[in-house]
Amino acid sequence: MSVGLARAVMALAAATLGQSRRDWALAMEGELEAAIDAGRPLAFAAGCLVAAWRDMPRQAEGRFLLASHMLALGMIVPMAALQFACAAGLAVPVPAAGGLGGPAAANAVQQAYLSAAYRAAEPVLLGLWLWLCLLQLRLAWLLLERDWPRMIRTGAMAAAVTAALVIFDGVMLLADPRTMLQAAALSIELAAVAASSQWHARLTGAAAPGGSAATP
Amino acid sequence: MLLLLAAFAEQAGQWRHGYELMKETGLTSGTLYPLLMRMTGQGLVEAEWRAPVRTGRPARHVYRLTAGGIAFARAALGDKARLPAEAALA
Repeated sequence: MSVGLARAVMALAAATLGQSRRDWALAMEGELEAAIDAGRPLAFAAGCLVAAWRDMPRQAEGRFLLASHMLALGMIVPMAALQFACAAGLAVPVPAAGGLGGPAAANAVQQAYLSAAYRAAEPVLLGLWLWLCLLQLRLAWLLLERDWPRMIRTGAMAAAVTAALVIFDGVMLLADPRTMLQAAALSIELAAVAASSQWHARLTGAAAPGGSAATP
Repeated sequence: MLLLLAAFAEQAGQWRHGYELMKETGLTSGTLYPLLMRMTGQGLVEAEWRAPVRTGRPARHVYRLTAGGIAFARAALGDKARLPAEAALA
């Protein structure tokens, strides 16, 4: 059990060290066998993981990994949570929802007409917000995987869903500030992802696929 | 770092395994490996791969002080270090 866990921790340490420290990762893995013989594999593997973390800021690849984790966990995943909250907000009955049927509805007749339309639109809006939430989570995962081609497609899809939400807002006279906030945040997010892609291309000496993730 | 230098100095010129160094110095792997990486980068320690003794085992890294490392250890540890002449490694 602890040997299996130690090997898993060691694999994480090796992944953290990256290609530039591949020899050191192999050296640690070689010594793990000695630690297993001595009956202390987990303590040894945990120490190697700590060593890998301590080494990260010193290496260009490590700095990139740190930055991409910060972008994924500090920005993209919270954005997905925000989208989920927006979707959950739509579940509230329309007259009580802050954004829906707000200043655009001028009088009672319009209000009644629009309320029915908003209720009819709710499932679509809910679906779009939830889809956006899932796309954001996929974007975070692909960023950590450094799968740039798929990230471009996912980013384009997120941009398309956001554009659909903006159009929906315009057509339905919703003037929902959350949609505009989402559009602005997604633009910043995709610009950061594109910068990450360029940074990774410089690190690996390869051209960034498609030039930019924000402009597929 | 002094602990590690002292451990190397005990058997200067001899190749040492990482786990053996850990046991001798009492350092954890989380402290030993950053030190070894830094000392190797600074040219104080050299590393080499050794084929596994038992089949099915991975190759192991071994380490020893370079000539520059011996000079540094002599300066850092003073008379406590039992170090050979740098020429012995050449």
